[in-house]
Amino acid sequence: MALEHRAFLYRGTDDFLSATVPFLTSGLERDEAVLAVVREPNLSALRDVFPSADPPIQFIDAAGFYRHPVHTLRDYQTVVTASAPRKVCAVAEPVWQGWDERRTREWIRYESLINAVFENSGARALCSYDTRTLPPRILTEARRTHPLLLDGGLTRSSDHYVDPVTFGSGFDRGRRPERPDTAEYLPVDGDDLHPLRTFVSERAHKHGLTGQQTQNLVTAADEVAANALRHGTPPVGLWMWQTGDDLICEIGDGGRWRPGPSPLTGYIPPDSALQRGFGLWTVRLLVDLMELRTDRNGTFVTLYSRL
Amino acid sequence: MHWAREVPGPAYPERTTEMDRQAMETPWLAKRPVSALRPGDHGWLAYSGLEERDRVIGPFVREGLETTEKVVYVTDAPPDRLPGLGSGHRIDVDAHRRTGALRVISLRDACLDRHGDFEPARMVDTLGREVGEAFDQGFRAVRITTDHSWLVNGPRRSDLGQVLGCEHRVGDTVSPSTMAMAICQIDRRACSPAELIALRDTHEVLVEVNPEFDDGILKIVRTFEPDGLRVEGELDAARHAVFAEQLSQVNTGRGRVHLDFSRLAFIDLGGLHLLAKHATLRPGGEPLVLDHLSPHVENVIEMVGWHRLPGLVRGGDEGPRPGSGGVG
Repeated sequence: MALEHRAFLYRGTDDFLSATVPFLTSGLERDEAVLAVVREPNLSALRDVFPSADPPIQFIDAAGFYRHPVHTLRDYQTVVTASAPRKVCAVAEPVWQGWDERRTREWIRYESLINAVFENSGARALCSYDTRTLPPRILTEARRTHPLLLDGGLTRSSDHYVDPVTFGSGFDRGRRPERPDTAEYLPVDGDDLHPLRTFVSERAHKHGLTGQQTQNLVTAADEVAANALRHGTPPVGLWMWQTGDDLICEIGDGGRWRPGPSPLTGYIPPDSALQRGFGLWTVRLLVDLMELRTDRNGTFVTLYSRL
Repeated sequence: MHWAREVPGPAYPERTTEMDRQAMETPWLAKRPVSALRPGDHGWLAYSGLEERDRVIGPFVREGLETTEKVVYVTDAPPDRLPGLGSGHRIDVDAHRRTGALRVISLRDACLDRHGDFEPARMVDTLGREVGEAFDQGFRAVRITTDHSWLVNGPRRSDLGQVLGCEHRVGDTVSPSTMAMAICQIDRRACSPAELIALRDTHEVLVEVNPEFDDGILKIVRTFEPDGLRVEGELDAARHAVFAEQLSQVNTGRGRVHLDFSRLAFIDLGGLHLLAKHATLRPGGEPLVLDHLSPHVENVIEMVGWHRLPGLVRGGDEGPRPGSGGVG
């Protein structure tokens, strides 16, 4: 069954309730697994409307749920899988405050990926956008990432909708972060990555990442480097430097590598570790942000860890 | 008596003592692979089956004979049936017995009294005599082993106190020695867990099989109860092939294979893929059990989700792994 993915452009709490309450009620009537992942004050407002729904509605604060796009998508998928054979009916409200430009772009990309990941789930999602507080750019992107729009009480298809593959390919052409001359460099040769793990771990520790972040970064860098040694073109190298609040670890090789077989490989949560793209997907899970860029200098994977 | 006499020059390099879960609970116990045993070691092997016994005692006996040390085996079994000496090993048993390098001493001659009962003092005297002779014959070391299973189980079983007393005296003499090293064997099914612990605790060294692989980064040790591998250090792409090879060696039988990850500090994502691949190829669909996950490995697995690792299940978390420390 097809996914119903609607962007709901609302103005204030009353307007928010006017569409979300009937939507959630319809989910209960259809015996769907009903959840609301929204921000305050909308969360409390919805709770007040459904004080003791039976079967219950799952209320989740979006502030805790929307912290990392790869984790959020994984968690939504867990909900869909766990609810089967029941379909999922969800009111969602992504968090757009507090992200820098790169992370904002990533969140937008993941909003688009929902169309691919849940394509045949039969789920119904109402993604809420507060038109009074969100920047126009976010609202513009919502029209591109959602095939359906609910605006002023009417649902219509979005004229600006772009499919996730096309949408994502535009994002990958962005520029790599400026690498300063002071970046620390480690040539990656031979196939033993033990020295690389030590190098990354020491610098992560020095720059103040937590123990958990450090181990995650080491695992991610090890995977990317192993991949570069296997599929890339020498020379392979690793650079680390700090920019603002991010510790950046970049691994590059001289080739022009593209994940395959699909442009969405590594974005769509794999069913198992045996599937192509498991490594790339897990790298995205392990660090705050991963970017993959191919230019005339080669292929570069940039791993961001928030200090 | 030459238990503690100086021998010229260091016959063995400095050793390192490895602590493990068991050793942390019983800090006087060190765990060593059999080839790392040194003079002064009073070692303990509670084996779960003949394969484990042979893979410890076999190298113990063979390496002694190959390096012109003396081997003293107290047993009623015929020499060519002893671990490391049977057919398939190119060891000339008769020749070694003629030169005195191999002494196979019957229980009657070593430690039984006129009535055929165990006499601890005789055992201690016998071993002391053998070590003394070895010194006079110019051997640089003596390797002593015997199987105590008959002492705690069967028609001639002895009082446990007597056995413990004997072990203490053997230990008192082996430990300060610069020549003698001993492995006391027991079939772990021969007595109760409490007896096993009491016996074990009269020793200072837990002896285990030699690692299947050890390059200083990754170490793989065969385990027997449960059947599986203990994987230590870091598993990465450069070491996938050797790990896969070892995994396929234990992956053949029926029943669950356990991987003890208590000392696995790092596993790469390819390693998780490899585990899942092997698990799906298990005969009979039995899962691979991951025991005692280190925090890092557990974190990665939890993050991707166990359901993405088909055929892998979480095993035990608490306490010493059965078979690792000499008690079941």
